[in-house]
This record gives sequence, C-alpha cells and structure tokens, in this order.
Amino acid sequence: MEKGGLAIVLFSSTADKLIPVGVLSQASANMGIPVKIFVTGWATTLFRKNADKNVMSVPKEYEPMAPMLMEGLKKMNAPSWFEMLKSSKEYGEIGVYVCSLMAGALGIKNKDDLDPIVDDIIGAAAFLEMCSGYQTLFI
Amino acid sequence: MAEIKVDSRGSACPGPITDLMKAYRNSKNGDIIEIMATDPGIKADAQAWAKKTQNEIISMEDRDGYIVVKIAVKNKK
Repeated sequence: MEKGGLAIVLFSSTADKLIPVGVLSQASANMGIPVKIFVTGWATTLFRKNADKNVMSVPKEYEPMAPMLMEGLKKMNAPSWFEMLKSSKEYGEIGVYVCSLMAGALGIKNKDDLDPIVDDIIGAAAFLEMCSGYQTLFI
Repeated sequence: MAEIKVDSRGSACPGPITDLMKAYRNSKNGDIIEIMATDPGIKADAQAWAKKTQNEIISMEDRDGYIVVKIAVKNKK
C-alpha cells in the first residue's frame, strides 16, 4: 500500500461494522495512509445532519453476544466509531463521500443536509476514479 | 534533542499509536519518544508504524502491567 490507500464502501449501519471503520480510519491516519469512504446503503442516514451517531444495534444473529462486547468496550474507555472517524480526519488524509443515488432516494439535496464530516456528495464512478490503485473494503 | 514521554496507559487500540503520532508531529529529528501503553497491540503496531514512517525503535520493555517503547525520531522533514 506504499503509494495507494484504503477505499471503504460503508454500506452497513450496525455497531459491529461501524467500529472497524473507525479503527481502520484512525489506524490509517496514524500510518499516513489515505482513506476514502463511500457512504451508501443503510449507513447513509447516519451521516445526515444531527443524526444520532450513538449506534448500539448489531445484526440479529449476534444479539446474544452484543452486551458482552459493548460492556467490554465501555470498560476499556474505547472511543465511539464516530469519535475515531472524526479524530482521524483532524490529522489524517480521510475523505468522506455520500453516494448521490442514496442521497437522492433519501431526499438529501446538498451538503447542508449532511454532517460536517462529509466532504461531498458524489457518484460511484467519481469514487472509483479517485480511489484508483487503492485497496477496497466493502463494509 | 528532547525526550518526549507519552503516557497512553488505559487507552485501547488504536489510541496508543494515535498518541505516538501526535507526539511525533511536535518532535524534531534526534528526539526520543517514550510511550507507555497497556494495550498489547502496541508492540506490533509501533513496529509497523516505525517501518512505515522510517523512524527507529530503540527498545521495547515489559514493565509491571504495561509496555514501554522507545523510538528515535529520524525522518522528520
């Protein structure tokens, strides 16, 4: 990944998927690796202006294990996924882009309807082009 | 040539490396950063960080319940 970076297609909206996005963004910022996040699917509503970022939900099949994990993270004083993403943007090269198709479907007209962490609303082609040579994760 | 001490004990991954990075940003070539962490990931993470940023790990030491990593700052531009 010497010259490349990390492209994350963030589709999910459950805590178990959002935490790794926060961790990978922060770790990449620490390592000087650029990250571009394409927010689409269920994750889109989380990036609306004033949306509640305190996500505790996990997929049904993991629900029995969730309290154990959440309590463990709390005990460790682990920051939330959004705090990690936000702090990584302060010192790293992290771009957050909302999918224009999903924005349209949810009635999001422009950046004013979105959280300030979002850099732009773009299409999939533009995202693919700006991530050329990056490793891609679909989360 | 300063010795910068960073206490990252109690902070979970990737917190210690973030603390290291923040200290690194304010450092100069020739400085030594000494980071204390309880997160066991610090050993491999500090090595990966030093390799990527081309700085040097001088020592890694297990103390009573925490790890101390010393890094020589070499690659500040």
